[in-house]
Amino acid sequence: MMGSLALGSVSFWGSSRSVIKRDYDHDHGQDQKMKMKMMMMKKRSRVGMAVAMAGGAKFKGTQMREKQLNEMIEKKVKEATEVCGGDEKSAECKVAWDEVEEISQAKADFRLKLQKEDPLESFCQEHPETDECRLYDN
Amino acid sequence: MAICTVYTTQLNPTCSSISKPSKSHLGFHQRQVVLYKRNSTNTYRPRSSGFSRPSYSIITCAADQTVVIGLAADSGCGKSTFMRRLTSVFGGAAEPPRGGNPDSNTLISDTTTVICLDDYHSLDRTGRKEKGVTALDPRANNFDLMYEQVKTIKEGVAVEKPIYNHVTGLLDPPELIKPPKILVIEGLHPMYDERVRDLLDFSIYLDISNEVKFAWKIQRDMAERGHSLESIKASIEARKPDFDAYIDPQKQYADAVIEVLPTQLIPDDNEGKVLRVKLIMKEGVQYFSPVYLFDEGSTISWIPCGRKLTCSYPGIKFTYGPDSYYGHEVSVLEMDGQFDRLDELIYVESHLSNISTKFYGEVTQQMLKHSDFPGSNNGTGLFQTIIGLKIRDLYEQIVASRSQTPVEAKA
Repeated sequence: MMGSLALGSVSFWGSSRSVIKRDYDHDHGQDQKMKMKMMMMKKRSRVGMAVAMAGGAKFKGTQMREKQLNEMIEKKVKEATEVCGGDEKSAECKVAWDEVEEISQAKADFRLKLQKEDPLESFCQEHPETDECRLYDN
Repeated sequence: MAICTVYTTQLNPTCSSISKPSKSHLGFHQRQVVLYKRNSTNTYRPRSSGFSRPSYSIITCAADQTVVIGLAADSGCGKSTFMRRLTSVFGGAAEPPRGGNPDSNTLISDTTTVICLDDYHSLDRTGRKEKGVTALDPRANNFDLMYEQVKTIKEGVAVEKPIYNHVTGLLDPPELIKPPKILVIEGLHPMYDERVRDLLDFSIYLDISNEVKFAWKIQRDMAERGHSLESIKASIEARKPDFDAYIDPQKQYADAVIEVLPTQLIPDDNEGKVLRVKLIMKEGVQYFSPVYLFDEGSTISWIPCGRKLTCSYPGIKFTYGPDSYYGHEVSVLEMDGQFDRLDELIYVESHLSNISTKFYGEVTQQMLKHSDFPGSNNGTGLFQTIIGLKIRDLYEQIVASRSQTPVEAKA
């Protein structure tokens, strides 16, 4: 499936929060390798997604939903990074990253659903006239 | 098959009518027959005030009262691999309800309904932001409603359950949930509230260690444009305090814990591909007999690879033994390593006991059926499948025991 992932050292979890940034520098080599891998995966998957979408996403509503989720992830990660820049331990920071988690999971669930059939399939059978149910053209 | 319970009670002579149980929930009641019988003559009944009272019997026929399973997991709702394996054991695939809200979190198969506990959020995304609480915080959840509705479904009455929309972050209009044979409640807090805990016939906690969680979240998110290694790390770190405070303590209440750790077979392994999985099973749970290896209650260390079975690197290692977990007696079965071939799987299956299979090779067959699911080559898939079979066994025992309850009609 995915290539082997090189994780940072296990001691990461033992360190306190304030030391995280220093750990990044320490494991710079490992992190760089990981970042390269992630970039490759993203390039590959974007191509893959375009192909998959032709099969999986049938309706306009689904295509819009996918776009919406992608944009939300980007937006919320940015927000969280900003909010936590001030105070990492604040409630706002916790909530911001929790939102990122929620959307990331929603995107993952969406991807999984899409593998079987378009999630709007049964809804669009009942309501083919709605905007969301227009057939999506690649 | 209908299982009927008879309730007999004395009717107060000042009551002029028989009050029907109030329909406080939309949906149907199970069939109820009310028999009203008057005592024939003025027979003296010492227990009452001296007057003979007419008595009536209510026979409630509930078709196989719902068995409720709780699953605590941090991996979203209903689409998790565990759920898919579990519903597969009972036959059929669980699908979202047809024709309803496409963003419903519920899954329904012939025998099983899986409810996502996020549907009981009392605060939507905006509300949580305002109050400064995460979804992990109990303050974001309506445990009263959770208890009420799970209890109602268990009693055989349908409910209108809210829907929490994970995309919009809003609470959508409710959907009708009819009582199934087996109800699974999955989410962050199935065992948090004591009243809900008491409704569970069996409970499972999926305990993923930090290293493995990190590896899985990278796999989940790394293709997303918005994510980076830093953001994934930061998200896990930020949620950890609430997770440790509110979610993790539920472990102690679970009848079975599946703990997922990095392997010990590969020195300095940090890839997170090979896993060490522990199945921690509470002793003394009704209708649940823990799985064991060779000799129940003893301590075993077993490497199946050898003369009869050849395995590829890093191989497979099992341990089994009694232990103590948060003050409870438990039995722990642990698997480290990976299955590479079918014959390894069947070999291991043939040496496990109390796995509640209906035929030889059933575990292997189930694992093969879903060989594309994550974990199909290691302890996560194996133990999830076995727990699924144990739950089936538990369900059948509960049904059998209820049908043996003697039906009495008082004269």
